[in-house]
Amino acid sequence: MAQDAPSSGSIVVADWHQCKDSKEYFSKILHKKRRKNFGLLESPVMPPHVAVDTVHYKIFISGKSGVGKTALTARLAGLNIPNLHYETTGIETTVVYWPVKLRENGRVLFFRLQLWDCGENTLRRFDHLLPACKEQVDAVLFLFSFTDRTSFDDLSNQIAKWTGTSVKLVVGTKFDLFMHCDVPERDVRDFQETWNLRVLRVGGEVSDGLGDVAPLLNCLAENLWHQDCVTAGSANRRSQQDTGTLL
Amino acid sequence: MMMLQHGSTQLLCLTASSGVPLFTRGASKQLPFSVIGSLNGVHMFGGGQGVELSCCETEGGGRVVWRVFQDSVMLIAVSAGGQGGAGCSSSKVEEVRLQRLLENVWSCMVLVLGQDELTDVRNVERLKRDLRSCFTLIDQLLEERQEGILGHLTHCADSLLPPNPALLQEAVDGFAEAAESEFGCLVVHGRVAAATEKWWRLAPQEVVLLSALMRSLSASGSASCDYPVFLPKGSPTVAHRLLRFQLLPGADVCVLCGPTPSLHRAQSELVGSFWTPLVETLRDCLAIGERCLPGSVSMRPDVLAVLLINREARRSVSFVRTPTNHLPSEPPLPSKARCWELLKLFYIFSTTRYFAQEETLSVSPEERAQRGHHEDFVLGFSHQPLQCYLVTEECKSYGLQTPQHQLFLLTPLSVPTFALRTLATQTLSDIVAATGF
Ligand SMILES: Nc1nc2c(ncn2[C@@H]2O[C@H](COP(=O)(O)OP(=O)(O)OP(=O)(O)O)[C@@H](O)[C@H]2O)c(=O)[nH]1
Ligand SMILES: [Mg+2]
Repeated sequence: MAQDAPSSGSIVVADWHQCKDSKEYFSKILHKKRRKNFGLLESPVMPPHVAVDTVHYKIFISGKSGVGKTALTARLAGLNIPNLHYETTGIETTVVYWPVKLRENGRVLFFRLQLWDCGENTLRRFDHLLPACKEQVDAVLFLFSFTDRTSFDDLSNQIAKWTGTSVKLVVGTKFDLFMHCDVPERDVRDFQETWNLRVLRVGGEVSDGLGDVAPLLNCLAENLWHQDCVTAGSANRRSQQDTGTLL
Repeated sequence: MMMLQHGSTQLLCLTASSGVPLFTRGASKQLPFSVIGSLNGVHMFGGGQGVELSCCETEGGGRVVWRVFQDSVMLIAVSAGGQGGAGCSSSKVEEVRLQRLLENVWSCMVLVLGQDELTDVRNVERLKRDLRSCFTLIDQLLEERQEGILGHLTHCADSLLPPNPALLQEAVDGFAEAAESEFGCLVVHGRVAAATEKWWRLAPQEVVLLSALMRSLSASGSASCDYPVFLPKGSPTVAHRLLRFQLLPGADVCVLCGPTPSLHRAQSELVGSFWTPLVETLRDCLAIGERCLPGSVSMRPDVLAVLLINREARRSVSFVRTPTNHLPSEPPLPSKARCWELLKLFYIFSTTRYFAQEETLSVSPEERAQRGHHEDFVLGFSHQPLQCYLVTEECKSYGLQTPQHQLFLLTPLSVPTFALRTLATQTLSDIVAATGF
């Protein structure tokens, strides 16, 4: 179970993407008003006088087939969200860069979040995939769908399997399909209390691109950063200058 | 058979033994169950009489093609006709297209699920569920979405000839070796730009299929993948790992691996060290775009479209020029999309009538004798045709073959027919001289 997860907005500036001083950072992850797709050899480049550290994390996305893992990954990265359900037949990772401002000292960091999405049916067919996803993982997002009760009921089982990883978030997908909602608000509240885990909600049309994903990405960044501070006792452990990959 | 939309293809998959439907794909309007049953029934009836039904044509110009794979799965393709329509389009052309489609669909199914699961069916419901994981690739085959990709048809790898091939070759070789693999491949704009020697020894349809998989993974925008894949010819029962990395948007490298290295390790330790020094080379490669040929190759202005196949290497390059500067006095040039279509049709036309096929069709000799794509009269030839041309209302087409190459070329109608041969030979020698292809 997550020990004393940081309360929302206590570590990073919430809604920083709406502040003026964030413009020059967010502009680096945008291209023609859309999110920029970075190849592995690329990363956001700031002018030389604005040194920004990039911190790397590996995040696994867990949840049963059709719950919306691939859709959530695409949403968080600003990629096209698939309309149809095509099973993911292996591991696909997606990189999301996200600038964050720390409350404590006003320091800005680029979070490089690599999301690991593996199709649930394939995961079961091939034994080697789950260990690959678990290798050096920093956080797990547990997905359930508001339209699928069994996916919600299965959460406790899923969470119990990941004892080693301490950053855990729960994401309810298809929140937009309220007509078919199968998981009442009350159950979600009970769950949060029992497990002491945040439950975030996603779904619906992608609006302006950033406001849509900011709460989830900030929450994830906050938890990861907090976790690092706890384990290392120092906020600098994970920082690494990305000299090798700057273009 | 006018129940399907004009020009669309529907694919049916059933168990061969009992005709249980496993899935249907394609065409927005599905064929009614009774029709599916009849299609299966008539094939079974033939089987009972010792006849293998492989293709038939309907009154409305539709076509049905049947094929049973490994005695376990039957695939049926139904097309509503209206494909092609060019002067060179014949029923034979459509038949070849559908036969090819069935072969490719079967290969996709093996690639994703492995042969054992398909041939040793214990639980039909489970197979049905597992088959869903093949739909991405199968739908891609049915839609033939990407213009300029002809590998599904030619079973030659769609290639891009980079301006600086030696550097990329070295990097692919080194990267594959570091990843404990002999099979590595760099794909730019969905086309193979460099690959290890062993990659080219994979069966031609495997090379084409893996390219298709790479294209679909690349299109999703993901950064890296670890995909279990069975090789339909080389390893149909044991899965390998396809590790793929997006170096730059549009440029992906992949390796076929055993149990190690892990995706995490390959990505964090190998990708940067091998490829960061080549970022500019990769960008130059991306810059040549879908023309597939370096800028050093100048193309004659009266060439509309080219498909060039290296027969031994089983690779092809192709491109279509964006139609420009046409005079009002001349008939309008076919659109780019239409040129791609015409190029495909002319390819099938030439290879089913005149040119040697053993290089480009991946069927075994027995199968070939059985199914005979050649029209009868060509078998009566005592010699091998080397060149052929065709003039239709839309364009002129010229094909030529040498021991090394096959070239298919489209020109506007304004080019005099007697000049076609010179234009074709010149184009071939220009490309070969500049690129060594
Ligand atoms: N309306 C709505 N549809 C969603 C949402 N998330 C996912 N979907 C749809 O649900 C279907 C399945 O989503 P995927 O993301 O492909 O499912 P998955 O979890 O990746 O499934 P596997 O790869 O098989 O494990 C798709 O048709 C999505 O468009 C959402 O938040 N709202
Ligand atoms: Mg998925």
